Amino acid sequence: MVMNIELAKKMIRAAIQQAREMDRLCSVAVVDDRGFLVALHRMDSAPIPTIDIARDKAWTASTFRMPSADIGQFGDPSTPGYGFNTQNWNDRLTTIPGGLPVTADDRVIGAIGVSGGTPEEDVSICRAALTTAFA
Amino acid sequence: MKEVTLEMAEKMLDAAERWATLCGFPSSIAVVDNAGAVIAVHRMDGAGPMTTDISINKAFSAVYSTAPTLMLARMIDPRMAGPTPGSGGLGLLTQAKLRIMFIPGGNPIRDEEMQVIGGIGCSGVPDGVGEISDTTVVQAGYAAIYEEYD
Repeated sequence: MVMNIELAKKMIRAAIQQAREMDRLCSVAVVDDRGFLVALHRMDSAPIPTIDIARDKAWTASTFRMPSADIGQFGDPSTPGYGFNTQNWNDRLTTIPGGLPVTADDRVIGAIGVSGGTPEEDVSICRAALTTAFA
Repeated sequence: MKEVTLEMAEKMLDAAERWATLCGFPSSIAVVDNAGAVIAVHRMDGAGPMTTDISINKAFSAVYSTAPTLMLARMIDPRMAGPTPGSGGLGLLTQAKLRIMFIPGGNPIRDEEMQVIGGIGCSGVPDGVGEISDTTVVQAGYAAIYEEYD
């Protein structure tokens, strides 16, 4: 299974539904397994910066194959990966929670990123979208 | 109709995607608000990765210049250059952090009073003007928000 526009729309619709229930104004981005944007929706009057933050979270989750919140562990000077943040390949890199990889058949096929609420709220919106899309 | 809502954007994307499918070219289509900020973008299955950013930037350029990007493309045409190099549109090339697109396929969205309330852009059809082009895809999307064209 690969990421496609129908799956992306389904996840985004579920995420926006969840955000409405939580009374939050969000942007939701879905990228494919290479980190390229597939679909992005911004709710009416959600702040403009949420567009790029949501996209960056999805990029990070997709290319690192892990939740964007887990990237922070590489910032620890005692880990082998320390210093990766000074490289210049990572324009879109973020450590803010709210980006989750989308897995199908034990493979990462893409990622979803949400921005607009607190980090915890963003993560729960992501989870709701994943649960609905793969129900 | 004072601003472009997500609902309107989705309606436009659906109509534009239908037309792009009829044309036989998977494309990306973007709708932006009157600040040039993205409301919704879709990349259809099979469209290249670069088309998303190009469609976003085309929609942005249409809002920023309050004109179809076709007019921007004409402005930098060397045949339109005036007596000095700067009297054409060349200076626009470096504006807005290089986000201005000089390729047809981005149109402003106007309300009943002809105020620009947003923009729509398409990338993926290998032609800028003509019957099967990025321009007709965005026009198909634009028409969808006017119920009389439904």
